[in-house]
Amino acid sequence: MANTLRPYLTAVRSTLSAAMCLDNFSSQVVERHNKPEVEARMSKEVLLAPVVISRNENERVLIEASVNAVRVSIKIKQADDPERLLCHKFTRFLTQRAESFVVLRRKPVEGYDISFLITNVHTEQMYKHKLVDFILQFMEDVDKEISEMKLSINARARIVAETYLGQFIN
Amino acid sequence: MILLEYANRIIIETLRERFSNPITTSLNIADFDGVGYRLSTPESKTLLVVSMRMPCFGELLQYGAMDVLRREYGSMLEATPEPGFEVTLKVDIEKVPQDYSDREALIRKIALLKRNALAAPFEQAFDAQIDGRETPLMAIHYRDTEVFYVKAGTDRVTVIFSTEFKEEQDRILGKVFLQEFVDARRLPQIQNAPQVLYTNRDPPLELRGQPGLKDSENIGYVTFVLFPRHFSKEKREDTISKIQLFRDYLHYHIKCSKSYMHSRMRARVAEFLKVLNRAKPEPVNVEKKTIAGKTFKRS
Amino acid sequence: MSGVYPPPVVIDNGTGYTKLGYAGNNDPQYIIPTAIAVKPSQNVATKRGIDDLDFYIGDDAFANAKSYDLQYPVKHGQVDNWDLMEKFHQACIFEYMRCEPEDHYFLMTEPPLNAPENREYTAEIMFESFGIKGLYIAVQAVLALAASWADKNVKEQTLTGTVIDAGDGVTHVIPVAEGFVVGSSIKHIPIAGRDITYFVQQLLRDREPQIPPEQALETAKAIKEAYSYVCPDIVKEFRRYETEADKFIKSYEGKHSVTGKPFNVDVGYERFLGPEIFFNPEIYSSDFLTPLPEVVDTVIQSCPIDTRRGLYKNIVLSGGSTMFKDFGRRLQRDIKKSVDQRTKTAEELAARRLGGAQVRAAEVDVNVISHKKQRYAVWFGGSLLASTGDFPSYCHSKQDYEEYGPSIARYNRVFGSIL
Repeated sequence: MANTLRPYLTAVRSTLSAAMCLDNFSSQVVERHNKPEVEARMSKEVLLAPVVISRNENERVLIEASVNAVRVSIKIKQADDPERLLCHKFTRFLTQRAESFVVLRRKPVEGYDISFLITNVHTEQMYKHKLVDFILQFMEDVDKEISEMKLSINARARIVAETYLGQFIN
Repeated sequence: MILLEYANRIIIETLRERFSNPITTSLNIADFDGVGYRLSTPESKTLLVVSMRMPCFGELLQYGAMDVLRREYGSMLEATPEPGFEVTLKVDIEKVPQDYSDREALIRKIALLKRNALAAPFEQAFDAQIDGRETPLMAIHYRDTEVFYVKAGTDRVTVIFSTEFKEEQDRILGKVFLQEFVDARRLPQIQNAPQVLYTNRDPPLELRGQPGLKDSENIGYVTFVLFPRHFSKEKREDTISKIQLFRDYLHYHIKCSKSYMHSRMRARVAEFLKVLNRAKPEPVNVEKKTIAGKTFKRS
Repeated sequence: MSGVYPPPVVIDNGTGYTKLGYAGNNDPQYIIPTAIAVKPSQNVATKRGIDDLDFYIGDDAFANAKSYDLQYPVKHGQVDNWDLMEKFHQACIFEYMRCEPEDHYFLMTEPPLNAPENREYTAEIMFESFGIKGLYIAVQAVLALAASWADKNVKEQTLTGTVIDAGDGVTHVIPVAEGFVVGSSIKHIPIAGRDITYFVQQLLRDREPQIPPEQALETAKAIKEAYSYVCPDIVKEFRRYETEADKFIKSYEGKHSVTGKPFNVDVGYERFLGPEIFFNPEIYSSDFLTPLPEVVDTVIQSCPIDTRRGLYKNIVLSGGSTMFKDFGRRLQRDIKKSVDQRTKTAEELAARRLGGAQVRAAEVDVNVISHKKQRYAVWFGGSLLASTGDFPSYCHSKQDYEEYGPSIARYNRVFGSIL
């Protein structure tokens, strides 16, 4: 199981780097508008084929590219109820702060837990390889954080129970 | 702090002030579990009236609450409570003991009014068990949707809490916590503690057939099995106080865990933002200065 | 008991002190310093266990200041550190108020010109961590106005007025029109309780050598709170002190904290010079030179013209540093002077333009309202509003939060005249 992590991340990295070739492209449908085409979905020729990279049924990454924007959606591993709860809380917390994150999308795409929207403006302001690094790091860190939070909740529960029951003895 | 206090802090501080400095008072406060208090001085500044509103008092009366209160408060207890309240105590400030520790003890006793009222069914069960009698299942609806039951058996006293988790998140966290309560007995130092059992949705055997049981995913039942060593004479008072606060303790810690998760998430968000900021290139210095102090712009 | 049951909880977080209590009461149950003492070396992301519950707030924080790190989460009225604020609220709710948050509505306060994101963060903490029933976030100035309704002299209950909020760190002058703060006209004065204490300490230091230096600040604070008052005229006051010294010079007894030896301090001119720095700031420092009545006048003149009469008519004081004796009277007299001057000049100019005809303008009514609850006027206003029957309908409920998200907390409806 662990040995699929590295190939998984490498695959995501190379796909992302390839997809992140973005250019300024005004809307072909509405005059004087400039929208991320992957969101507007008005003209078919500027959209590229979406790619799904999945490690297993529970962990997937969907990369939808277009001429001026890329949408990256991540489905995070959630094995049981506490993990589902933690993931839900964490993604909600993050999306609430989406403004400071710039590339985060406020609502995740259907079927996924969290989505990023990277447009040509972002690639002009920031280094592309660093953006890819960020997304990769994000994926790793989220998993790590959720398992750590789960462990700490269990540890807390144990201490809470011990303290309460210990009262009855002394 | 990890453990909750049994006595009501506001009452303690207010009484401490009023005993040394009586003034006209009218205070309405609340406590855990829907209990409300009112401290007032309707007749004179030195006659303080402490009233408690407790929705489940009717049931407690059946289990001998009045006897317990009479025993604890003696002449301070009023026969008829104030309208809208269930219990009223009258404290004559002029007759309060002058000695500091006696006064503190009296203050603490009054602040434990809720605890003493709720102690009745426990005391009945403990007395019965020591005598070797069994008691029927005593039910107290201490909150709108939550009940606790006390029953004395041949060699043990069983206390069952039904607790409702209003939110899905609380339910999941509650399950994790309660599972640990059940498992805590494995540790050698906790082996002598009361045994805890937990079921979700299905009531335990002792409660089968009880009227008014709510059937929903959000209801959990926690059973404490207390053995005679837990309610021996020295331990009885403490055990009663601690068991009463169980539900509040559990929910308090669930909320603390949620706050803790927030702290972690905030720290994590700060980390992410740091990584993201690394992606921004350094701003090229547009304005430069010459040695003489003149500035010029280099585009 | 009228109002809502269980009673809503009113929490007023200030920079210096937090006032907590249940609605419907006249005084807050707790007035504790907004300070929290946490264990040093807090690395949230890596530790396990239950150490984060090891902290103290309020007076307990000061008591434990030696072994814990003392921090102040609120700076200049705004929350600086949300982690600490969340812990602070946790202790307030479970340790001090002892209420089950799911059963209660909460009224919290915010300073004027607060960023809407801060309201969202407050709502996030309250709803997600504590699961409260409903939340209303009120502007402190509006609550101070509501508190003034309890004063007997007030004939109509209006939410138009100027609020002078003088706390420990800074004084604000905030005009409120119909319950909405006129944000662009707010002015801050860097003179407040702390500065008066420093000034008194300075005066005492030169004259009374027997005060132990570590205790100089506390002694000055105690003297300020016990003996200070506002005089109508400094020169006359100095003369009165010369002629009738024994009537005015008071004595203060203090005890040395370490040796226990008592010491005696004569309190003289500090009594009226301390609060005088509001009206003549140049005697204290040359950083800020505008007297308070002039600032208030400028603020009101910068507001929309149709609100000005209402603002002069209802000047409300709030905060501990407005509790000096005769503060209200002096302020009213000084403001009325400049207002009357302006009216007279306007009349003369109009008369000149109309070629000598007599013009009379309606006199502007200047009224400074002092009441007994000034020290925690904001909390008291909150208690009044939260104890009305329809308070729950003004709150944002948990269901709304779940459905629409924290952005609903950005808008809080203004109370009409309900009491």
